[in-house]
Amino acid sequence: MARTLKDLRPVYIVGIGWHPYQNPGPTPYVTLGVTAIRAALADAAIEWPAVESAYVATALLGMAVGRPMLRHLGATGLPIAHIENASASGSTAFRQACIEVASGISDVALAVGVDKRNPVRRESTGIDALAEDAIAQFTHFSLLTNEYAHRHGVSFEDIARVAVKNHRNGAKNRNAQRQKERTLDEVLGGKRVAGSLTALQCTPVGEGAAAAIVASEDGIRRLGLDASRAIRVAGSTARSERVYPAGQGFDAVLTKETAGLALQEAQISARDLDIIELHDAFTVEELHYIENIGLCPEGQGVHLLKEGALEIGGRCAVNPSGGLIAMGHPIGPTGVGQIGEIVLQLRGEAGARQHRGARTGLAHMVGVGAVCYIHLLQKA
Amino acid sequence: MDALLKPSLYTPAATLLGGRCACGHVFYPMQTHGCEVCGRHGGDLQPMTLSGRGTLLSSTVVHLHADKARPAPFSIGKIALEEGPVVRTLLVDPAPSIAPGTAMKATLVPVEDGKRDLRFAPER
Repeated sequence: MARTLKDLRPVYIVGIGWHPYQNPGPTPYVTLGVTAIRAALADAAIEWPAVESAYVATALLGMAVGRPMLRHLGATGLPIAHIENASASGSTAFRQACIEVASGISDVALAVGVDKRNPVRRESTGIDALAEDAIAQFTHFSLLTNEYAHRHGVSFEDIARVAVKNHRNGAKNRNAQRQKERTLDEVLGGKRVAGSLTALQCTPVGEGAAAAIVASEDGIRRLGLDASRAIRVAGSTARSERVYPAGQGFDAVLTKETAGLALQEAQISARDLDIIELHDAFTVEELHYIENIGLCPEGQGVHLLKEGALEIGGRCAVNPSGGLIAMGHPIGPTGVGQIGEIVLQLRGEAGARQHRGARTGLAHMVGVGAVCYIHLLQKA
Repeated sequence: MDALLKPSLYTPAATLLGGRCACGHVFYPMQTHGCEVCGRHGGDLQPMTLSGRGTLLSSTVVHLHADKARPAPFSIGKIALEEGPVVRTLLVDPAPSIAPGTAMKATLVPVEDGKRDLRFAPER
């Protein structure tokens, strides 16, 4: 790798916005998307023509849906690129927008994620499989849950506590798809999908949109933006799955590698993290990822969870937005929405979800493939 | 003898049709697109029959499945084959609670249309 994002021009997040994540319904994706973008423009206090380039993240809407949406903001002729990278689509769009600004090609760029729940279509590779059709995502993570519980002597009840925390955080987030506190009994007593996994331990895939506007120092000066609310992108890394020894799952190893590179790039340690927004599509993932990001040794995540260290106000607030489990996971928007939550936290604008004194945040996404994206954000 | 549901993947003896790259990497199933470790392709990838024996890494019972053609409940296992590849597939149902580390063996079971399909079960 010749250079990291940190070696290029500094990039700042200057505007964020959402269309709330919600259960699938009749709202056109255009409404979802322009609502989030208009909110981000208002947050940045800029007008649409100031945006020089747009990256549209979507996984389930089909081909070329960007311009039919963006034209309703005014067809300025800006370049538009579509990004599909499974669950990491939004994170990837954000990274590309950052790279474009860091490189000097643009001063102001937009990453917007928008999606509605549609069937996933994946072309055959030409290689048959024994029974992949029988292994839904939740079945993959149920296998991982059983492996984790067995290896570390952890109970399914303790793993389910991740959902209790994240539903509690989501209950304070008006953009969350699920805004209801849940007891451990409610989480465990719900509909079982595979093994010990219950519906309330799984993300509800819905619809929504999230937008983030990034700018260079030149852009901030030229447009007269409020630099005190700008949040620095201190690191951006992306990796994909390699071949690992039997029994060593990609879920953990890939996150460890990608997060390690990001922390190195930003020259900080996992102990410096005040906020983590991570891919908790299923409860066990949160434990895997905090351990591999480096908050604690492998198998110790449950201890941090039970002592309250991962709560808002704890040592490091993990998924203060509610995470994928409560905030939701509309796919395209999710990675952008994580960035938005961290920005709110670092600005001190997170209201009832505010983790006091937050200065450094990490956004983590994995996507089927598998790919992993990590962004580090710091208060300027 | 009944026909196999997926004859490109396994044999009537319940062995698996895998492959081996000139670099030494063993993979399943057989393919010639290219080696995941070194990128060699074509003739550098040769068929290799895998024993169908392995060790259980994890298993689970699926309670809910969208595909009506595969009614739940059914059991899925993740098995590290003795030659190296890890496969995830159906276990012989009803599967008892099987501890990780259990020795597993592939077997053929009757499925629809008078065909037989591969499952894994604890080795006796």
